[in-house]
Amino acid sequence: MNPADAFLHMRQVRYAYPGAGVVIDDVDWSLPEGAIHCLLGRSGCGKSTLLKLAAGLLLPDSGEVVVGGMPVREPGLATGFVFQAPTLLAWLSVLDNVLLPVSLKRRATAADITHATELLEQVGLQDFHRRYPDQLSGGQQSRVAIARALLPAPRLLLMDEPFAALDALTREELQDTLLAVCRRQGTSVLFVTHDIAESVYLGDRVAVIEHGQVRCTVDVPLPRPRLPGQRHGTDFNAVCARLRQVMEGVS
Amino acid sequence: MSASLPAPRPPQVAKPVSIWRSPRVWSVVLLLGVLLVWEWTVSTFGWSQLVLPAPSAVGQALWRGFASGYFWPHILQTTVEVLVGLLLGGVIGFGCGLVLGESAFVRRVLMPYVVASQVMPKLALAPLLTVWLGFGTLPMVVITALVCFFPLLESTLTGIGHADLSRLELFRMLGASRWQTLWRLKVPTGLPVILAGLRMAVVLALVGAVVGEFIGGSVGLGALIIAAQGSMDTPLMFAVLTLITILGLLLYHGTVWIQQHLLRPFAASLSQGR
Repeated sequence: MNPADAFLHMRQVRYAYPGAGVVIDDVDWSLPEGAIHCLLGRSGCGKSTLLKLAAGLLLPDSGEVVVGGMPVREPGLATGFVFQAPTLLAWLSVLDNVLLPVSLKRRATAADITHATELLEQVGLQDFHRRYPDQLSGGQQSRVAIARALLPAPRLLLMDEPFAALDALTREELQDTLLAVCRRQGTSVLFVTHDIAESVYLGDRVAVIEHGQVRCTVDVPLPRPRLPGQRHGTDFNAVCARLRQVMEGVS
Repeated sequence: MSASLPAPRPPQVAKPVSIWRSPRVWSVVLLLGVLLVWEWTVSTFGWSQLVLPAPSAVGQALWRGFASGYFWPHILQTTVEVLVGLLLGGVIGFGCGLVLGESAFVRRVLMPYVVASQVMPKLALAPLLTVWLGFGTLPMVVITALVCFFPLLESTLTGIGHADLSRLELFRMLGASRWQTLWRLKVPTGLPVILAGLRMAVVLALVGAVVGEFIGGSVGLGALIIAAQGSMDTPLMFAVLTLITILGLLLYHGTVWIQQHLLRPFAASLSQGR
């Protein structure tokens, strides 16, 4: 693919935490507009650091990160970020949590509230506006976090193992919700996970990360939209087996 | 009734029993019991009022004090000292806690002195303050403020440090300013800790005001105790101790009420969620 077409483009990115050696070593990556790419790897392989570099939360020691044609110098609302934990604010209601990106800039208008309500409906939480985060289950909290990240209508969504702490069934439901919402909004997604099946189900392309480098890139030849029935198909299993082989081989 | 089945309890028996299960009732019974034993002991052994006055004598002293209006200026004085001192010390302590919490540099420069002034008993400053500021309300307010300053400083400093890295990164992603991150993330996160500090400050404030009045006051409940000592009026002394206790309870429960009010979102989520 021609890097010029990419929406997110990382060119020879290098990053080292002070006093901890090189964490990200010469990574090149291109994410086309509207695509979903997954970064797959074991704990401590540097995949979360790569995501923070894409977000502008960290700045590369050398190399360049470009989003939508502009070099990334600081975090901004054009990029949404979903963390490992839902990171909701316990003292705000669900609706106010979703409105946070707006209410930090200005007073939320009626249009903002309508928009937040629509997003909550899209993630399957229509009757929860007045609840507080601690009254929700883990899966519901993750849904609120996704709605909050989507409120400023970011063109790029970065997700750092957002479903890792959930049980298998809830995780699969959330994967379907995420795919539906991103399809509707045309959001590009870079998704970090350690779960092989999750990466194959969500991604158009999966990168296996090892020791801060992209060891292998696997295209997922499954049709879109992804349906729960595909989870156990032959093609699906073949891609999973291939990725597993790569991960076991590199460790 | 068949022997194989457990006999069901008649429901009307449970009602009178439940009153005696209430801890509140037993608290009151305990108080009345202690007062009765006290009254009985004093009258039986004929102890001097100077050593231990009977509860009835203390009650009379309380009644006289209120009926003649003698207590009111003293109660007012101590209450004003506590509230103004608490407000002053609390606000300054909270503000300094925010500054120290936000700036690692200022914290490193000032922390040794903060710790040093914390270990020094503030009440030991009372004689000095009366030299500087005279015998009026001002030195008592200053001493109370000093006593309240440190619990608020400490709890604010600790509280705003409780915000976790992910939420701080979230606020960075959302483009929040430093002021917004402090005010909309760190302070609400630390609010339970900060309010626990406030509760401690309220109790200490009363101690500060009363002991300050021992040393340099002419009006106030502390000064009244010293006056009662001078005239060897032990019932009056007990009466004033009762007043100080009641004032302390009112202040403490007032703070708890404010705390519950401010922490309502936290409490709502905790009580219904688990």
